Amino acid sequence: MIELHDVALRIGGRRLLDAIDARIARGELVALLGANGAGKTTLLRAIAGLYPLGSGSICLDGSPGAQLGSLERAKRVALVTGDEVLLDALRVRDVVSIGRFPHHRWWQWREQPADENAVDRALAAVRMQDVAERFFSTLSAGERQRVWIALGLAQETPILLLDEPTSHLDVRVAHEILSLLRSLAEGGKSVVCALHDVNEALAYADRIALLGAQTLLAIAPTEAVLAGSLLERAYGIAMEQVRLSDGRLRVFARVPNGSSGGRRSPEPSA
Amino acid sequence: MKLGVTAILLVLLTAAAAAVSLLVGGTPLSVAQIATALAHPRDPGIVNAIVWQLRLPRVCVAATVGAALALCGAMLQGMLRNPLVDPYLTGVSAAAAAAIAIAILAGAAAGAMPAIGFVAGLGAAVLVASLARRGGGIDSNRLILAGVSLSTLFAAIVALVVVRAQSSDYAATIVAWLAGSMAGRGWHELAVAAPYLGVGALLALWAAAPLNALRIGELRARAVGVNVDRAQWIILAGSSLLAASSVVLAGLVGFVGLIVPHLARRLVGSDARVLLPACAAIGATLCMLADAICRRIVAPAELPIGVLLAFIGVPTFLYLYLHSPPSLNSSARVD
Repeated sequence: MIELHDVALRIGGRRLLDAIDARIARGELVALLGANGAGKTTLLRAIAGLYPLGSGSICLDGSPGAQLGSLERAKRVALVTGDEVLLDALRVRDVVSIGRFPHHRWWQWREQPADENAVDRALAAVRMQDVAERFFSTLSAGERQRVWIALGLAQETPILLLDEPTSHLDVRVAHEILSLLRSLAEGGKSVVCALHDVNEALAYADRIALLGAQTLLAIAPTEAVLAGSLLERAYGIAMEQVRLSDGRLRVFARVPNGSSGGRRSPEPSA
Repeated sequence: MKLGVTAILLVLLTAAAAAVSLLVGGTPLSVAQIATALAHPRDPGIVNAIVWQLRLPRVCVAATVGAALALCGAMLQGMLRNPLVDPYLTGVSAAAAAAIAIAILAGAAAGAMPAIGFVAGLGAAVLVASLARRGGGIDSNRLILAGVSLSTLFAAIVALVVVRAQSSDYAATIVAWLAGSMAGRGWHELAVAAPYLGVGALLALWAAAPLNALRIGELRARAVGVNVDRAQWIILAGSSLLAASSVVLAGLVGFVGLIVPHLARRLVGSDARVLLPACAAIGATLCMLADAICRRIVAPAELPIGVLLAFIGVPTFLYLYLHSPPSLNSSARVD
C-alpha cells in the first residue's frame, strides 16, 4: 500500500509537486495521467525515494519511506523507467539479475537458488525466457521494455511503479504490457503506471490519478475522472467522449474543425 | 569459454609470468636453483640472497603494481561508465610526481620519497573529489574535468622543476622516476604500501555489487537500492589508495590501468565479481612480464617499465578499441 500525505517537493527552488494526498491499496492498478511536465515522473521517483521530500510524507506498506534505508526501500518498491541508458555488453539475464541487488549483502558474491528462481519467474512473467541469453542491445523497443519490467519484478516488491511503459510501443505490445500489469495488480501488487494515452488508462486501470500544475487534481475510478472538465483542465485542450457499443467510454481531443483527433476520411464524391 | 576454465587459465598465466620473471636477472639461475631457494628460505648462500632479497620482492612489487592499477582502472571506468578513464584521472600521479620532483630538487632523502608521493597523491585525490562534489555524491563530468585540470597544473610544475634542475643530476633522477621503474624496490616498500593496498583491495571487493548495478545507469541503480553517493565515495577512496600505492612503489606506470580492464572485459564480460579478479590477474601478469623484459632487453642497463608499456600499450589499446564489436567492449546505446 502507498500512502501520500500532503507531499510537496522543490528542486532548485522550483516547485515540482505540491499538496498531494493519495492512498493506493494492494491489488490496485492506478494510472497516473497528466500533461507533459505535470509531475508524473517526479511523483513516481518521489514515491520510490529517489528525491527527498520538501514536506509531507510517503508511507510504503505502513512504514515512512524517509526512514527506510536504500535496501529496505528497494525491497518494498520497484521503479521501472524507460529512460535512455548506456549499457555494457549485458545479456538479458544479467540485466534482470540486477533486480536482486537489495536481497544481497555485499560479501554475497554468488547468486543463491532463490535469486535464480526469482529471475526465472520475472522472465517468465514477461515471456522473455527464450531470449535470456541474448544481448540486451539486440532487442526491440518492446522487448527492452519487458526486460525493464522483469528487472522490477525480480526485486519482488509489493509496490511496482512504471514510468510510461507503453511509450514507443505498437498497439499489440502495449496491450500485452498493460495486460501484464493488470494481472500483477490482480495478483496483489500495488501498481502505479504513468501513461500518456487516456484510453489505455480507461481500458486497464482501476483508478486514474490526474496531475495538473504539479498537484493532484483527482484520484478516482476511471470514468469518474472524466465527469466534468478535469481532463480538459489537466491537458488544456477540449475533449470529446464517445461511448462504444459495448458501453466502454473513449476520449479524444477535439480539434478546431469539429472532428475528433486524427485525419478525417475524404468525403465520398457524388 | 567457460568462466571456470578462464579463471584456471588466468591463475596459471599469472604463476607462469611470476616464474619467468624470477628466472630473468643479471646472474643466470636455473629453475631448480630457484625452486630450491624458494623451498628453503632460511638457507644461507648467494642464490638464496638473489632470489629472496632481489628477484622475489621485485616480482611481488611488479605483480602488486599491475594488479592495483588494473583494479583501479576497472573501478573508475565502471563508476564513471567511461572506457577512457585511467587510474591517474584523480590527479594522484601528477600530484605525486610534482611533490617528488620538488623533493628531489630540494635534496630530500630518498627514503622520504614514498611518503611524500603518497601524501601528495592522496591530497590531490581529496581535492579533485571535493571539486567534483555535487549534493551528497560526485558529478562524473566534474570529476573528469577537475582531474584533468589539476593533472595539467601538476604536470606544468614538474616541467618547471625539470627546467630548474637541468644543470644538475636531479633532472635525470626526476625523469627516471617519471618513466616508472621497479629497480631497487623491495620488501620495505611493499611493507609501507601494504596497509593502503589492503584497504584499497577491500574497498574494491565491496564495490563489486554496486558496480554491477551501475551498469544499468545511475537512476536504475538507485532504484534497485544502491546508495550511489556512498558507492562513489568508496570507489574513489579505494581507487585513490590503489593508485597512490602503485605510484609510490614504481613511479608512473602508464596504460596498465587503461588497457587491462578492456582486455579483461573481452575475456570474462563486465560482471564486476569476475571482472575485478580477472583485472588483478592480468595486470599482475602484464607488469611482471614487462618488468622482466625491461631487465633483459638492454642488460646490464634497464629500460623504464613506463616506456615499454607505452610502446606495447598504445597499439594494443588502439587495436582493442577499434576492433571490438560495439556491444562487447565499450557500450551500446539504448534508446
